[in-house]
Amino acid sequence: MGYSGARGGLEAILAAERLVREARDDAPAPWASTEQITARFRLAVDRVQGEAGLYHEPTAAAAFRQAEGDTLEASHLVRAHRSTLPRLAVSEPVDPDEMVVLRRIVPAHRTPDGPQLLGRTTDYTGRMLEREPAGRTAPSSDASVRTDRSSNGTAPARSTEQRHPARFSAFLRSQDLLVEHPPAPDTQPFDVTRRPARPPAPRSAVLASMARAETGALVGLWYRSILGPDGDIHEVTLGEVRHGHLPLRVRHPHTGNPVQIGRFRATETEAIEDLDGADEDRTRFDVGYGLCFGHNERKAIAMANLDIACRRFGRTGPLEQLLLLTTDGLDSAGFLEHLKLPHYVTFRSMVERKQAMRATGVATDPLGRDCQ
Amino acid sequence: MLFTREERAGLLALAHPEELVGLADACLADGAVPRVLRAPEVGCVATQVTEPIAADRFLLGDVLAVQAEVELGGARGWSMRLGDDRAAALAAAICDAEVQARRPRAADVADLCGRVAAREATADAQEWARIAPTVVEFEELT
Repeated sequence: MGYSGARGGLEAILAAERLVREARDDAPAPWASTEQITARFRLAVDRVQGEAGLYHEPTAAAAFRQAEGDTLEASHLVRAHRSTLPRLAVSEPVDPDEMVVLRRIVPAHRTPDGPQLLGRTTDYTGRMLEREPAGRTAPSSDASVRTDRSSNGTAPARSTEQRHPARFSAFLRSQDLLVEHPPAPDTQPFDVTRRPARPPAPRSAVLASMARAETGALVGLWYRSILGPDGDIHEVTLGEVRHGHLPLRVRHPHTGNPVQIGRFRATETEAIEDLDGADEDRTRFDVGYGLCFGHNERKAIAMANLDIACRRFGRTGPLEQLLLLTTDGLDSAGFLEHLKLPHYVTFRSMVERKQAMRATGVATDPLGRDCQ
Repeated sequence: MLFTREERAGLLALAHPEELVGLADACLADGAVPRVLRAPEVGCVATQVTEPIAADRFLLGDVLAVQAEVELGGARGWSMRLGDDRAAALAAAICDAEVQARRPRAADVADLCGRVAAREATADAQEWARIAPTVVEFEELT
């Protein structure tokens, strides 16, 4: 290896890597297949997909296994892999109103348009640790059996309202309680995979950066914006929290018409902000928007709150800079992790400076004492 | 059952790989030789979203996909599907060309599309059956 004036150590590096591989791959336990990881560690897989910025469950699951469960390392592996892939197409703009919901809650209203659909969640369940249940039998691979066990296998046909509930912001708009955003020029969205976003940046850069930000970093910044010195968020009511399927369409190369090539899961949030600024319409609300790959409600909620906070205060305080420069997990963790690499030359030069100062006597007197 | 070109491409994108490969083999069993115009290539589809509050577009991320294009019987066939199954993408492109060229197995391709559509509808109904019991109407404490 070579870094900071250090080189060599190849045999030790290979031996260290071998320790990882052997302990991981030859552990005295059943192999964790990609299917196992996808099915049983769904939220970790989704987190990796979102933070890597590449939606493909098997790839994220393989990275999660290789990284020994370290989601940030797994995201690094996937993002490195993604960088080797060509861009086949840019999708037609996805309309989030087309989401087929698997879960949809409206914390702001008891009876919104469409159902309050809890979906797959333990939000309302006590956190009791379950050790491996005694007498557990292998699950059936038959989907129909699973369906029967959970719901008797029947339900009335899903209505359009149950499939695509009207969003709560539409209700606020219908009540004239939502500020109107004049249509902005439809510009090409900023591509954070091609060039780094630096403030001042368009909203598309901020949204894209948050969509693939490290979840913990985004939640941390969200909490700082509530309890920290900035106070950029003071109202945290949520209009929508959704998880569901969205269609992905591209232009057919022969006909030029849109064709749906599949669908992906995403989490979406609307965060309602109570406008209170002197130059704001205090008779209405505004709404922040969050959307990320997979099922990751913490991330989408933080994103939605930070979106509206950034639109209000991003340029008058540090928020836009913090969002664009400090929430990417690969950036921050990469810088942190590099500190473990040899810094012998750097630190020796620091020591030599100290010694040189001491030799001249400068360091014996604190700077500025002679001026008193 | 009749499908538009785009509906067919979308349904072939959801067909199981073994279904596609088997049908593509059947399409070529008469000795027809496809010309591969675009070898199956795995890559990304940059996914842009128009958010619903201010109608701003942004890039959510990339979705892994694979596409292929062939010429068969004087017609071009194209496919793109999610994931990285190159054989399935190539087979789907052959099936698409089979229909475009009005070759003998065109009806079989339409049948496969019909089965995929029915399967998707069943899966959708099963999904709703699983989650419908979680619809809730909380009570307000006053």
